[in-house]
Amino acid sequence: MAEYQNLFTRVQVRTTHEDWGVPNDDPSWRKATGIDTTSGLSYLLGKIGDYQIGPLHLGWTGICSLILGTLAINIMGFHFLAQVDYSPTQFIRQLPWLSLDPPAPAYGLRLAPLAQGGWWQIAGLFLTASILLWWVRVYNRARALKMGTQLAWAFASAIWLYLVLGFIRPVLLGSWSESVPFGIFSHLDWTAAFSIRYGNLFYNPFHMLSIAFLYGSAVLFAMHGATILSASRYGAEREIEQVTDRGTGAERSQLFWRWTMGFNATMESFHRWGWWFAVLTTLTGGIGILLTGTAVDNWYLWGQKHGMVPTYPAVWTPESLGTPDEQKGYYQEAPPEAFPGLDGKTNLQSKAGTKRYPMGTQAAVDGHSKANAAPTSATSAANGRKP
Amino acid sequence: MNRRVSGLALAAFALVSLGACEFPTGRNSQEMGYRGVGMWNVSNTRIDAAKKKVNQLPPVIPAVAADTTNAGYVNVQVLGHLNKAEFLRSMTAITAWVAPKQGCLYCHYIDKSTGTINYASDSMYTKVVARRMIQMTAKVNSEYQGHVAKTGVACWTCHRGNAVPANIWFFTDKYQVLRHYLDRQDFRVQSQAALPNDAQNRSSIKQTEYAYGLMINMSTALGVNCTYCHNSRAWSSWEQSSPKRIVALRGIRMVRDLNTNYLVSLTGVWPANRLGPLHADAPKLQCATCHNGIYKPLYGQAMAKDYPFLYPAGMTPGADAPTGMASSTPAQSSTPVTPASAPVSPAVPAQAGASTTLSLR
Repeated sequence: MAEYQNLFTRVQVRTTHEDWGVPNDDPSWRKATGIDTTSGLSYLLGKIGDYQIGPLHLGWTGICSLILGTLAINIMGFHFLAQVDYSPTQFIRQLPWLSLDPPAPAYGLRLAPLAQGGWWQIAGLFLTASILLWWVRVYNRARALKMGTQLAWAFASAIWLYLVLGFIRPVLLGSWSESVPFGIFSHLDWTAAFSIRYGNLFYNPFHMLSIAFLYGSAVLFAMHGATILSASRYGAEREIEQVTDRGTGAERSQLFWRWTMGFNATMESFHRWGWWFAVLTTLTGGIGILLTGTAVDNWYLWGQKHGMVPTYPAVWTPESLGTPDEQKGYYQEAPPEAFPGLDGKTNLQSKAGTKRYPMGTQAAVDGHSKANAAPTSATSAANGRKP
Repeated sequence: MNRRVSGLALAAFALVSLGACEFPTGRNSQEMGYRGVGMWNVSNTRIDAAKKKVNQLPPVIPAVAADTTNAGYVNVQVLGHLNKAEFLRSMTAITAWVAPKQGCLYCHYIDKSTGTINYASDSMYTKVVARRMIQMTAKVNSEYQGHVAKTGVACWTCHRGNAVPANIWFFTDKYQVLRHYLDRQDFRVQSQAALPNDAQNRSSIKQTEYAYGLMINMSTALGVNCTYCHNSRAWSSWEQSSPKRIVALRGIRMVRDLNTNYLVSLTGVWPANRLGPLHADAPKLQCATCHNGIYKPLYGQAMAKDYPFLYPAGMTPGADAPTGMASSTPAQSSTPVTPASAPVSPAVPAQAGASTTLSLR
């Protein structure tokens, strides 16, 4: 006897699909690519989702997006390969550490030579174009089905964060070097370095919001999934019907939440909760990144200024930490382009570089207290000017 | 049945994947800062035991009776203040710590045709290097007490019975962080003011990565967490740091001084097989060269105090350096902040034949 179970539905109803249940006069939903793929049925896919495959609508946006995306991934991949001297074994072994980096600060916003970050610029351009075209496709397909465009706008929120990281913020700061490298560990290292450079991102209120929405999204998703699954024996997974015609599944699950916390979302409003939490994660995150380096340079000190940072009793005496003179430090010199005594450029030469990098002015030379930061002859060296 | 099999397979896989983790017992953690701020140092007893095994003092070279004989040796340039007995004991110590298998002839020239050893000759590069290293050790023990305290260092601290110490470094990649131990002045990247216009800090993410790499190098070299020195909520804040941080900073400046003025200056002395494989550069020090994974080399056991040759003339071994010799702020007395344009003058004795002039930029 056929049994009906949820999570992984075992019953796969096979029938001819004459009527798809979607009244639509736009033929593109079915045969846009000229390939009718509606005949595809997969038993295994049916174990985790719908067993029907296709119709797949690519359209020109989809095709262009795939081509550009493939190009971008290939540029990264071949760059990685070149880094291991085209050794397949080393490629696999070292894949997590391989990276395609943005240009050095000296190049500013100009095009860099291919090996100096130019490939990063090209890959980034292709990847961005690919993502934006995919967004157009998401929007158009929703329109074609006379759906709302919530999916497209949620995607746009993620794209906003992506663009802030890789385009808007670097342009505002005048240097592609501020952007994220393409690589598994390298982009994680970038994240750590970014937080360190800008004085601890945890003190960035928009980062706080983003984390709250991110974790909140996970909690909401867990609550929702659990609620619907637990009441699906009463048909609760047929959510939309139960919005207007509340069956016992909806009644029970909602009573459950009123019992446990005195309030329940509705079958409809819960999806708005989920959508907004997800969208606000990247929206607030993007704002937080955008403000970093443009409006605020050290989030910890900013937080301290605004009473956000608790103080703790001192454990060590100030004397044990050395004299202010010893503690005095300089901003780091620009990364070298060659080793001492060896051939190669010894300083950063571009106009953009001279303008923004190497960093630091004499006023920037600071240590324990500004009063101690008397400019010395070494200061100009710290500024990295060509001797 | 199938479920049981797949369940067992899953459990086996989970167990195997746990192999990447440390065994959960034997962990020590010690709170260092104010309670609740997370300044912990975590260690593992098994790793500690393994380290302990390989970080032992060598057998003591027996002390010699006071002797006022001047040996009358020829070409003794830096150890002239030692009497004959102490001089011979020092040579014995160096041999035991640096070239135990090779013996005296590792540094001293033997005329193979006649079989006579010319102890005065400087024709062996190893002797020239050894002399410079003795000078370096004396400098560390006298001028860098802010870092090595009265414990001091000996040849053994780095060499451990090897002619070439482990944990030296060469140029490998042009961006390698270790060059902070050579020609980079400082590595501050965090702004000292909240707002960009006040901070005037142009440090890039790459520079931050560079500083981060150096810090991890130190952390590994000393076998400690970041929070051994820093409060991780504000790396640059001295007020919240532990006193270890200033000791470490003096150490960085010391290593830079030693690399610049002792190791790199010997570039022309070393034969090709002692130079870097990629760029033919001199072998250089880093924190790990002495520390070998331990917060204090050899767990802080003092051995230098027993050997006068590790100290400059006029200084009592294991005591405070005389005024004027030691500095509480050694970084200021030496020249870690080398002006970018200044070439490093070779500080090698003239007869070494080292005509190295190495621009640091």
